[in-house]
Amino acid sequence: MTLTTSRFGTIEYTDEDILTLKDGPLGFPGQEKYVVVSHKDGSVFRWLQSVDDPGLAFLVLDPGVFRPDYSPEMPTDVATELELTEQTPRIVYAIVSIPPGNPEGMTANLAGPIVVNAETRFARQVVVHDPEWHTKHPLTEALPSASEKAAA
Amino acid sequence: MLVLTRKVHQSIMIGDEIEVVVLEVRGEQVRLGIRAPKDVTVHRQEIYSQIKTENIEASKTQPEDVPE
Repeated sequence: MTLTTSRFGTIEYTDEDILTLKDGPLGFPGQEKYVVVSHKDGSVFRWLQSVDDPGLAFLVLDPGVFRPDYSPEMPTDVATELELTEQTPRIVYAIVSIPPGNPEGMTANLAGPIVVNAETRFARQVVVHDPEWHTKHPLTEALPSASEKAAA
Repeated sequence: MLVLTRKVHQSIMIGDEIEVVVLEVRGEQVRLGIRAPKDVTVHRQEIYSQIKTENIEASKTQPEDVPE
């Protein structure tokens, strides 16, 4: 299938590429279907491109890349809904925000990670109650390659 | 908005399954206990709003601003 997007032009995808984000991200009710797009070869960043809205995409990364200690508690209702057990392979994405034109202001949201059951490709944005994790963890200094770019 | 007056240890029911109990009142703080089925998600309103706001900001991110 083909998807025309505002950021990436035309994308080819199959049904197996689709990730179903139940209820959509907070603030985007009903935006449930996404295709995962690599930012560039070798990049730690991915994009979740909406299948239904060509202009809607979220930049994400594995929070373990800059916070290896990140392992928020999984709410029981989400684990049940996503059929996640200890053994289920899962993917966690943190949504990254870059103010337009200001890469140094890049932050990652660790209070609202997207948790994916890698077998079923069903996902949900989880609300983390631990005050250690908030919505704006600075990323520019945490990622060496990013800080080099900011310095350049 | 429905407004109810409750005393400590009194509760309200929301539908048949959700109970909200006033546990303690101390100055301007109220501690609430919530009994709800496991499939009902309960959040503090502030964190929910913060994540929503953050998602809306994040959706403006453009590829040309992403570091290599």
